[in-house]
Amino acid sequence: MDPIYQALVDIVGQEHVSNQPEELFIYSYDLGTTEPHRPDYAVTPRSTEEIQEIVKLANREKVPVVPLGGGLSLAGLAVPFRGGIALDLKRMDSILEVNEKARYAVVECGVSQGQLTSYLERNYPHLTHSEPGAPPTATIAGNVAIHGQGDLAQPYGFNSDMVNGLEIVLPTGEVCKFGSCSIGSGWFTQHPLPDVGLFLGWSGTTGIITKVSIRLFPSKKIRGVGQFVVEDEELVPEIMYKLTHTQMTEDIVAFSQAVPPFASGLQHFTINIAADSEKELEFKQEIIWDDTLGEYIRSGAGGFLGFRSGLQRPQVSKTSDWRKGGGFEYVGSIMPVDTYPECYRRGREISERHDIPYTVLGRCVGTAHAMMFSWTYAFNRADPETVRQAREALHETDDLVLELGGTIWKPGLYGQKLVMERLDPNTLNLMKKIKQMLDPNGIMNPGNWEVS
Amino acid sequence: MDIIACIKRVPDTSEADVVKIDPSQKDIEKDRLAFKINDWDEYVLEAAVQLKEKLGGTLTAVTIGPKEWDEVLRRALAMGADSAIRIDQDVSADDPHIVAIILDKVIRRLPYDLVLFGAQSEDFGSGHLGAMVAEILGIPHATLVINLEAEEKKIHVQRELEAGTLQSYTIDLPALLTIHTGINQPRYISMGGIRRAMQKELQVMSLSDLGLSLDALTPMVKLEEMRLPPKGKEAELITGAPEETAGQLAKILKDAGIF
Amino acid sequence: MTLTNFRYGDVIHRCFRCGYCKFPINWMDVNNCPAYARFRMETYSCGGRLWLTRAWLEGEIEWSDHLADILYSCTACKNCEVKCPLSFNIDILNMMIAAKSEMVERGEIPSAAKEFLENIQRQGNPYGTSREKRDEWMEGTGIEAYQGQEYLYYVGCVGSYDTRGQETARLLGKVLQKAGVSFGVLGNDENCDGNEVRNLGEETLFEMLAEDNVAQFQGLGVQKIVTLSPHSYNAMKNDYPGFNGVFDVLHYTQLLQELIRNGGLDVSGGYNAKVTYHDPCFLGRWNEEYDAPRAILRAIPGVQFVEMARNRNGALCCGGGGGNFYLDLLGGSEDSPARRRVREACETGANVLAVACPNCLTMLEDAVKAEGLENKLTVRDISEIVGEACVIK
Repeated sequence: MDPIYQALVDIVGQEHVSNQPEELFIYSYDLGTTEPHRPDYAVTPRSTEEIQEIVKLANREKVPVVPLGGGLSLAGLAVPFRGGIALDLKRMDSILEVNEKARYAVVECGVSQGQLTSYLERNYPHLTHSEPGAPPTATIAGNVAIHGQGDLAQPYGFNSDMVNGLEIVLPTGEVCKFGSCSIGSGWFTQHPLPDVGLFLGWSGTTGIITKVSIRLFPSKKIRGVGQFVVEDEELVPEIMYKLTHTQMTEDIVAFSQAVPPFASGLQHFTINIAADSEKELEFKQEIIWDDTLGEYIRSGAGGFLGFRSGLQRPQVSKTSDWRKGGGFEYVGSIMPVDTYPECYRRGREISERHDIPYTVLGRCVGTAHAMMFSWTYAFNRADPETVRQAREALHETDDLVLELGGTIWKPGLYGQKLVMERLDPNTLNLMKKIKQMLDPNGIMNPGNWEVS
Repeated sequence: MDIIACIKRVPDTSEADVVKIDPSQKDIEKDRLAFKINDWDEYVLEAAVQLKEKLGGTLTAVTIGPKEWDEVLRRALAMGADSAIRIDQDVSADDPHIVAIILDKVIRRLPYDLVLFGAQSEDFGSGHLGAMVAEILGIPHATLVINLEAEEKKIHVQRELEAGTLQSYTIDLPALLTIHTGINQPRYISMGGIRRAMQKELQVMSLSDLGLSLDALTPMVKLEEMRLPPKGKEAELITGAPEETAGQLAKILKDAGIF
Repeated sequence: MTLTNFRYGDVIHRCFRCGYCKFPINWMDVNNCPAYARFRMETYSCGGRLWLTRAWLEGEIEWSDHLADILYSCTACKNCEVKCPLSFNIDILNMMIAAKSEMVERGEIPSAAKEFLENIQRQGNPYGTSREKRDEWMEGTGIEAYQGQEYLYYVGCVGSYDTRGQETARLLGKVLQKAGVSFGVLGNDENCDGNEVRNLGEETLFEMLAEDNVAQFQGLGVQKIVTLSPHSYNAMKNDYPGFNGVFDVLHYTQLLQELIRNGGLDVSGGYNAKVTYHDPCFLGRWNEEYDAPRAILRAIPGVQFVEMARNRNGALCCGGGGGNFYLDLLGGSEDSPARRRVREACETGANVLAVACPNCLTMLEDAVKAEGLENKLTVRDISEIVGEACVIK
């Protein structure tokens, strides 16, 4: 009997650990184009204590640990490149606290975005959180670990900026808390203690997030989506600038795609507006459509396509079915808003060069402080040639992001290498020291953010 | 490796209360019973098919019985037997010796390296047949085989004895083995497979085709009577709330001297 | 077989594994796939099973007992099909059944599935109990053999053989008698409906059962069928027409609803309880009959009806479908779907969990015992509740 397997069984119980080919196969794959790598074990722990024990075991045995939430990063961030333990955290799925008055929720790391959204809808209908565009099976902890953003990014920024506190199992097995919770107070603020931002954006290489306190926001009684379209991509940055000036939107997304063909080349906006009454809604609509976008409508440069009450959350996985191929991956980036036209044109070129229908999207983050711009490449999982083409297009796009002066969001290994080549050497050196200090045996999600 | 598998059809008697003795008192009432392949013979076929899949050669399934017995041969064909032979004769009431004489005649006509039998049958359960056939054929045999590994000219087997004791032998081929349950996990035979096996040829032979006549076959033992075991005392069902029934049960056990 | 000649070889790669298939009525959790809820490894999710099937057919992984257990742990509850946002969703269960068929053809299925199918081949029921005992449930009821009455009352295997199933079969018979419905049964000549045989991937055996049953029904002049089990209802309503067996098939809740509505059944005896209702998959998601059972419960005086959080097409399967009431690949844990379901029923404050399927009845009743909830929650088939409301002893 494999002693590591036996030790894992002793920690989590027989049913929550596997070294069978079937589990190793499934946990070797990302949903995107990243090549699979088999873990040696798949483990589904239920508590922080179990995770501690697993991490201590991994240190003793020098076995990698690769934490996994919803498994939807698409960038291969939870692929066990060096084998070891695939740590599926989705059984850690309790919503521990909702503090209504201080507007935050404390959740375990396996709680999905959809679980919190649904819980709030049923129990606190006047509260909501920033739901990302990923399928709602994506986890909250996984999302903050990669600096995700959601449908409240325009007013409130990155989801990782909404963190009020964290509980972390360090790579050496100790449990640490950050934020007000660390001094025994509630989980209501991350600041103003000495800042130890060592866990957000590190893609699970510096520890395992086991609990998150995430900010909640007012959910107005009416939430709806307005649609606007322009032909000229050059207009998009100024429209975003003007819309954010109103401070009356919840989410601003501009996108363009080759399918359906009649809409190809147009820049569509979806603009989320929320209000507690018809009066408030009317007022906001007037300011947005008439006072702000009216000039484009009157000049014929843009068109208002209507407003619908009710949030129609996009089912992004439908993208995978465009080529009836079950696959897509995208490069996400954080870009200055004024690069939108160039992002669109160059991205379209890349897609067309690789024979992939183009899809690009820019979501406004903050009051046009930045945008998350993405280039999506669908592929057919059953056709290795299309997978190869998509992978090439993704790599070219990673290069493009840096060329256009942006940063790659949740880069895969290729993008991480590009970023680290450009990183300030002193910063890079600090990252290396931090990593060595926190994870002396190099067990946490190895392969990612490895400074040579 | 050429293999012959000898198999039979038995009534499904998994529920004791469906078994009734017929008026002759020499058999059970069969009209309303369901029939199936002898449990041990499922393992025989699986072992044979696995050997054939590994080593090549032919597999022939043999049974002796009336038309309805074709169904066990169809299963064998569906599992991968190349040919099947039924000797059209009802020998269910006869002793194993007669059956052994007939099988000897069939087997001699066929090429074989290995002959497989079930260790016993579910209905009569004498466990004699394999050993008798081996003796008549004049080849070595091993009974109650729980493990086997074949080479070209010899076979390594393990026999399972009382309390799980294992004996290992290496036997020169040709040889005869009787197969015990647990040697493998018999595969499921799909109805589709059985339907497809209907296309395969199933050879039917009579005793005279084998140069035998029924008159010349004299039994060594003769069945006198069959009867059901006497009924035991009926089970007693204790009903009620746990706090009462626990007490009642304790009393019964105590009265029976168990405590 | 390889992927290229798998019937769904051009579809199976289309699952992205986004995970919508795990959701109940909304996004409240990811536990509405019974197999995934039980094991919480990605292999047991709908997407995991599809990816594994593809890998198996491509030769990337070998067949194993574990792989067979993973595929056979699918209860065919149809939650995945109803929740998947992609256009190939109509083929998800067909793909699972085709993969199981491939295992059946190779003979490599879980031993309990082998037993299940061989028992049906031999005795016409999954338990392997003699065909001669199929009519024992009706002893002393005075229920007649079918001979041209208006309805054939098709009882099914669970109703005929399972002790608890037999009670509901009897009670439904008595309710129909009380309502003066003209009906008869097949007794020992009744054979398995084949619904689960189909879900287990034994296509040819299913065809044989369907053909035999259709021929038998037609030979007896049957036109209308009322079934105790939603599984029988599903096979007879949706599959038998493919074997030229077009009958007017009702689940018993549909007939009882109609009888109560038109005054043919007096339920004024009432039933005093706070009742919640568990939708059986083969009545709900498979046939979209969500209203008849609820209408019956609401029509009975004294019933205080409450919904569980997961209801209608978001109901959690009891874990008994796909033959799993017998195979039991999902049992043995507090995460077993039946145990999750009875805890959820308890959370509503109901003291009676109503079901409309003998499989659900046995699964959930066992779960109540396993959870030690006997003092809080009783599982009752709607036929029993109606029986009490019509004052049948």
